[in-house]
Amino acid sequence: MNTIFFSLLAIFSLFIFMNLGKIKASKKQTDRDNRINRFGSKRGTVNQKQNRSKIIEGEAEEINDEAEK
Amino acid sequence: MSRHSALNRFGRSANPAFTRGFEGSSETLPLNERMTLDGAVNKTGILLALCFSGAAIGWNIPALMFPAMIVGFILAMVTIFRSKEKASSTAPLYALSQGIFLGGITLMYENMFEGIAIQAIGLTFGILASLLVCYKSGLIKPTENFRLMIGAAIGGIFILYLVSFIMSFFGSGITLLSPTNSSWMSIGISAAIVCIASLSLVLDFDFIEEGAEQGLPKYMEWYGAFSLMVTLIWLYLEILRLLSKIRSR
Repeated sequence: MNTIFFSLLAIFSLFIFMNLGKIKASKKQTDRDNRINRFGSKRGTVNQKQNRSKIIEGEAEEINDEAEK
Repeated sequence: MSRHSALNRFGRSANPAFTRGFEGSSETLPLNERMTLDGAVNKTGILLALCFSGAAIGWNIPALMFPAMIVGFILAMVTIFRSKEKASSTAPLYALSQGIFLGGITLMYENMFEGIAIQAIGLTFGILASLLVCYKSGLIKPTENFRLMIGAAIGGIFILYLVSFIMSFFGSGITLLSPTNSSWMSIGISAAIVCIASLSLVLDFDFIEEGAEQGLPKYMEWYGAFSLMVTLIWLYLEILRLLSKIRSR
């Protein structure tokens, strides 16, 4: 009985691992501010990405009062 | 020439802390050369199958146990510190040799406590599956602090084992670590080590998940599977030790 129970547990767990392992983790897990950044990537959370998109890229130009007039 | 005067004056930073990324983690890699979750899980399956095959050999020829353990240790060091790129060839050999070692040691425990092997196997895979569910659902969230905590705990356990190993040459050892020590203190220490080994699995899941997200090179699938195998083998050995202590009571 003991052997059957633990054998079934092992087989069932392996089945879960082989199937669930291939599914992407939930948003709750992947979209976090405090995720470990192992590979030095510029990946950010949804909020960080939104803030990043507000930055306007381009060249800065000097503005003086005379040019405005 | 840049219009930003600071860049003209000082140039771009050469500090590796600012410029370092993972080699080959660029998004320019073709899709079929990038790490995927599917690939990492399938490779873990291959390593597990090799480990079980090795265990069958070790079970029947226990004399191979210690040579296999040393070969496995060397292969693990080579994979971790020398060539992650060659994990596709070192990881299967590691799984096979560690399988032979596990087969031998399992036979030793089985001779002392009948039925302990299947209990340890069932519990190891049970923990693997339940922690995977917790990780995927976001119930357990690995953070930098979590990684530091687990790293520190593993370091402490490593030092404990190292001291015990060195003391064994002088005819003594840390009795709390002995598999036949059935005191509550000893069982508690073993249970704590099992918890640390289990939580290390979460870090492995996160490594694989992040690697697939970042599109790391394909060989990192083997490396991810290898790191999962190292943790699983450690967890299995600790569960065997814990069960033997409990059964000694």
